[in-house]
Amino acid sequence: MGNSSYRSKTGGLIDRSQTIHFWFDGVRYPAHPGDTLASALLANGVRLAGRSFKYHRPRGILAAGSEEPNALVELRTGARREPNTKATVVEVFDGLEAFSQNRWPSLKFDVMSINSLLAPIFTAGFYYKTFMWPAALWEKLYEPAIRRAAGLGRASDDPDPDRYEKLTAFCDVLVIGGGPAGLMAAVTAARSGARVILADENFNLGGRAIDDASVIDDQPAAQWVCAIEAELDQHSDVRVMRRTSVFGTFDGGTYGALERVSDHLPSPPSGIPRQRMWRIVAKQTVLASGATERPIVFGNNDRTGVMLAGAVRTYINRYGVLPGRRAVVFVNNDYAASTARDLVRAGAAVVAIVDSRPGSTDAVRAVARDVGCPLLDGAVVIDALGSQRLKGAVVRNAAGSTETLSCDLIAMSGGWNPNIQLTTHLGGKPQWSEQLSTFTSGVLPPGMSVAGAASGEFSLKGAIVGGAKVGQVALTQCGYQPVDCAIPSAISESAAMSPLWRVDGGRGKAFVDQQNDVTTLDIELAEREGFRAVEHLKRYTTLGMATDQGRTSNVNALAIMAELTQKSIPQTGMTMARPPYTPVAIGAFAGHHRDKHFKPTRLPPSYAWAKSHGAVFVETGLWLRPSYFPRPGERDWLESVTREVKTVRNSVGICDVSTLGKIDVQGPDAAAFLDKIYMNAMASLAIGRCRYGCMLREDGILLDDGTVARLGQHHYFVTTTTANAGKVFQHLEFCRQWIWPHFDVQIISATEQWAQYAVAGPHSRALLRKIVDQPFDISDQEFPYMQVGEMTVCGGVQARLFRLSFSGERAYEISVPARYGEAFMAALLEAGEEFDACPYGTEALGVMRIEKGHISGAEINGTTTPTDVGLGAMMSRKKDFIGNVLGQRAGLLDPDRPTLVGFQPVDRGQRLRAGAHFLARGVKEIAENDDGYMTSVAYSPTLGHWIGLGLLKRGPQRIGEIVRAFDPLRGYDTLVEVVSPVFIDAKGERVRG
Amino acid sequence: MRITCPYCGNRSLDEFLYHGDAEPQRPDATADNAMDAFVSYAFERTNPPGQHHELWYHEAGCHAWLVVTRHVSTHAISSVDIARDLAKARTPNTAGRA
Amino acid sequence: MVENILQARSAFPEFSLSRYHQLTIAVREHITMVSLAAWDGQSEKVQSVIQSIYGHSLPQRPVRVGGMEVSFLWFGPDRWMAVGERDGGRDLEENLKRHLHGLAAVVDHSDGRAVLRLSGARARDVLAKGLPLDLHPRVFKANDVAITHASHIGVLLWQVDDAPTYDIAVPRSYAHSFSDWLLDAAEVFSAI
Ligand SMILES: [Zn+2]
Repeated sequence: MGNSSYRSKTGGLIDRSQTIHFWFDGVRYPAHPGDTLASALLANGVRLAGRSFKYHRPRGILAAGSEEPNALVELRTGARREPNTKATVVEVFDGLEAFSQNRWPSLKFDVMSINSLLAPIFTAGFYYKTFMWPAALWEKLYEPAIRRAAGLGRASDDPDPDRYEKLTAFCDVLVIGGGPAGLMAAVTAARSGARVILADENFNLGGRAIDDASVIDDQPAAQWVCAIEAELDQHSDVRVMRRTSVFGTFDGGTYGALERVSDHLPSPPSGIPRQRMWRIVAKQTVLASGATERPIVFGNNDRTGVMLAGAVRTYINRYGVLPGRRAVVFVNNDYAASTARDLVRAGAAVVAIVDSRPGSTDAVRAVARDVGCPLLDGAVVIDALGSQRLKGAVVRNAAGSTETLSCDLIAMSGGWNPNIQLTTHLGGKPQWSEQLSTFTSGVLPPGMSVAGAASGEFSLKGAIVGGAKVGQVALTQCGYQPVDCAIPSAISESAAMSPLWRVDGGRGKAFVDQQNDVTTLDIELAEREGFRAVEHLKRYTTLGMATDQGRTSNVNALAIMAELTQKSIPQTGMTMARPPYTPVAIGAFAGHHRDKHFKPTRLPPSYAWAKSHGAVFVETGLWLRPSYFPRPGERDWLESVTREVKTVRNSVGICDVSTLGKIDVQGPDAAAFLDKIYMNAMASLAIGRCRYGCMLREDGILLDDGTVARLGQHHYFVTTTTANAGKVFQHLEFCRQWIWPHFDVQIISATEQWAQYAVAGPHSRALLRKIVDQPFDISDQEFPYMQVGEMTVCGGVQARLFRLSFSGERAYEISVPARYGEAFMAALLEAGEEFDACPYGTEALGVMRIEKGHISGAEINGTTTPTDVGLGAMMSRKKDFIGNVLGQRAGLLDPDRPTLVGFQPVDRGQRLRAGAHFLARGVKEIAENDDGYMTSVAYSPTLGHWIGLGLLKRGPQRIGEIVRAFDPLRGYDTLVEVVSPVFIDAKGERVRG
Repeated sequence: MRITCPYCGNRSLDEFLYHGDAEPQRPDATADNAMDAFVSYAFERTNPPGQHHELWYHEAGCHAWLVVTRHVSTHAISSVDIARDLAKARTPNTAGRA
Repeated sequence: MVENILQARSAFPEFSLSRYHQLTIAVREHITMVSLAAWDGQSEKVQSVIQSIYGHSLPQRPVRVGGMEVSFLWFGPDRWMAVGERDGGRDLEENLKRHLHGLAAVVDHSDGRAVLRLSGARARDVLAKGLPLDLHPRVFKANDVAITHASHIGVLLWQVDDAPTYDIAVPRSYAHSFSDWLLDAAEVFSAI
């Protein structure tokens, strides 16, 4: 067949001045800019586009838009390979490579079409019935076999090379759909000054007015559309978004939309995303999403060459392509009969118009007369003949006799279904219209109105008038004054229709859902087996569950079910539509936030310094903290950490602790407020002093711990753990605003303001003396353990000094404004050179707190009480505080509760593992004998063996006992000795110097 | 969903954190039945369909706690109040300073 | 007292003035920010103190008052952020602390917040890629203030003029991630 043999001489919106080329299954074909892959294939006489999902039947092109169930292709190669794209929405570009799917070894000769012969086992419920037993075979045998046979497309294994963006847009009026109704709504709103977004999934506007080559205001629709587009472009507050599918309705006037920015290009230009995910917030929304044509279900209705009548018109009028040369037009309505006019005008022969309605109508008779073809009324197509190409239609006439009409195209129409999916995403139920024999929208989402075919108004005139009216209501709702607009003239054609869901007595398989290969027999089987409710029908047969969301099949299927169960269609009901309306790439949901940008990263003040000093970093929440600082010659992390710990224990080390949450609490009631927050007293804290504190949840479980420093009568400075900084701040605001609203206290986060460093070790004071400016005295008399003071360092830099210790050594925490953080770290280490000071990271920090028996996130884990971790005595009995009452529940005071103790391996050479469970010796390893678990472990450089903290039933009474640390998950079972959780300096002498 | 913060204006749901029912009030810890009252306060919820008064925190905004009146079936929000103002009106000033 | 020997480090050390088509992004390095939180019942006194010293009445809704030297941004109920030029050192903080003693909590955020300035006709288009706020000129005008988030990072944003110019303050530890996102969002405008 010759090039462009099915391309008409004139017509369509394609650019005939340019010829581009694309590849389909390795063959090169010509096309014009403005073609879709489907129109270009048809223009080249390529009818066969793919094989079907289950039976591998040859399939062509059914539709011309995103409802297409059959023509699914794989696009591009390499990392950009994309399966299951609809040829009907893919814009052809020069060099496009497309491949058919579900065929092996070739599209024309497919081994798997043997599945057709096995059809009886592929019926509804097949998956449930066939692969029940043994379950072990499912992963290894059944699923791979089904996938190979069912031939899902192949996704690329490479990372997605493209960029995606996620944006938010706001408008007064969102218009979904750029057909005549949508254009009228948009231009009406725009003229009043409203902010308008018009989104259309196609790459050019006009909708069915272009598809049907309608006449508006006495000019070709394309011309009228151009004029409206030009006018919309004039309004600075109007955004026209082409290639944009609104895929979901969400609460509060929020809509999700996907803009395909570069899918029509070989690859996205530099800096340009492939797709944009839009969150559109609209005060009012006009749904003008049009309608989807219904097929009629008859024997072998999936043959290539059986096409929706509206799609035939689209290919002729929009693309200048003739989908066939000899056509049978098979309709149950007036509107679709006009397809015959378009066919004849484009040079095809119409063999007959087959109208299922006895007597037909004046409108159809007029068409038949004008085009000079026979009209068979009360007749139906019962079979489509041919294998890979359509050869004929078997028609049964009103009298019941059959004849075969030779044809290469059956243009069929069973009427239209308004595209109302977006009206149902918030729970609105579609309503059955007896008059229109279709579902229309029910209760609409707040702020939404519907116009044009989406509202069941199928005539062009109705769409134009309705669009203008709805646009006017929307702009008025947004507070704009309507401007007088002339309504363009258009004809009001008849859309009279008499339902026909399936043809009785058809021959061969009659497909309802072509994408998932669901036939009328499957629906009958589902009915017989009791899966009659529409939601059951859907899941049992998989009807409507493919990428087309059943847009050409759902209504037919439930109508057939209604017939079978002798119920009405409203009684049968409609399946629930959920977002997304059209497929959305996962990359578009992620936008910028992938790979290293998956979440933001917080850098502590000394980050750059630590990086240049070879730190190994660890993610703690969003923070990137130094884990340890390896030195040349050190073989592993343990060696580095051991050195860091020994340096702190013997001399002095420095650690960035800026990530701790820091909260300024100020006000006349600051003291009384903190007394409510912490389980221990804070009002009694003297000015210039610090205190360790714990706060509980209201249920008596530990929430967080930290230090409280009193800087003034009405001024406290509180620290939280790194992990809980946000949670604690929220908790304090909750208590301040909601529980005790009369407290006069203010809470201000100061986490980011201060770079805070722990300076720990016996030489810490000597080091700090070199840093702290002259007038400030940090002797032990002036600055004892738990003292806090404001001073200056390094020649006048503002600083706060806290004498606190997490390591158990004499230690300080010193903070300076964050901008000096990096330089201050360097200054501290320079001052520490004479002591061989070193920086240390979170690993050494963790080791030393375990050696000292301090609790951390592993112990404050959402299940422990103060008593569990040995802090029960700290709880005040004299005041009310959060967690006070419920902390006294009998279950929480049970002496049998696992309680914090220390552990060391009986064989000191063995390592310990956190997560191991404790068992008394000689008992069976069952849950009833579980005595608790190991929370934290470390190799103690100070003791020279592994140590651990853990929660053990009646732990403190079992000091000296040997128990098993049992970890079947990692195959580990060790005898450990129960010891005090404080492994070093039990008397706490070292912190005081 | 969108919530109109009385301070910041109409904002997207992802700026807010949901806390829970705004009906239960923290009981008097010194009362004889304090334990029962606290158990009810902390754990017992009825969750009927219809309008709920809920506590939300404008975490990414002004940090105000809000009482949002929301229909839990339709998500329709009928009012948003400032939690601290409601709480002040509800309780006499006995908790704070003399 | 000896001279300060510590070098201040920018929160955006790798960032230089970036010019795009109809957009510039610059670091506002020399900025000082101090928050005021009035104690209950002291809001009016705080108002009158600020009025008498600076000549501005503190806003009760999300806007900014003041001029180039010092301006006051609404920063929550009975909270404001005083924004000034850094050249004054800690003068702003110390002045406010002195005058508002016993009336309000005064806390320095000059180091805790890092500020970028976006200016030009494309500023709205770039911000739309992460800032979920309606910045249309009829909705958000010069001197309007918003506390919100952008690209999962908390921001305090105010519009400086009708260019439009926006100042955006982010927590210092997020500065690196924030500028990563912003430069990525703006990249397309270098091509055009
Ligand atoms: Zn708010």
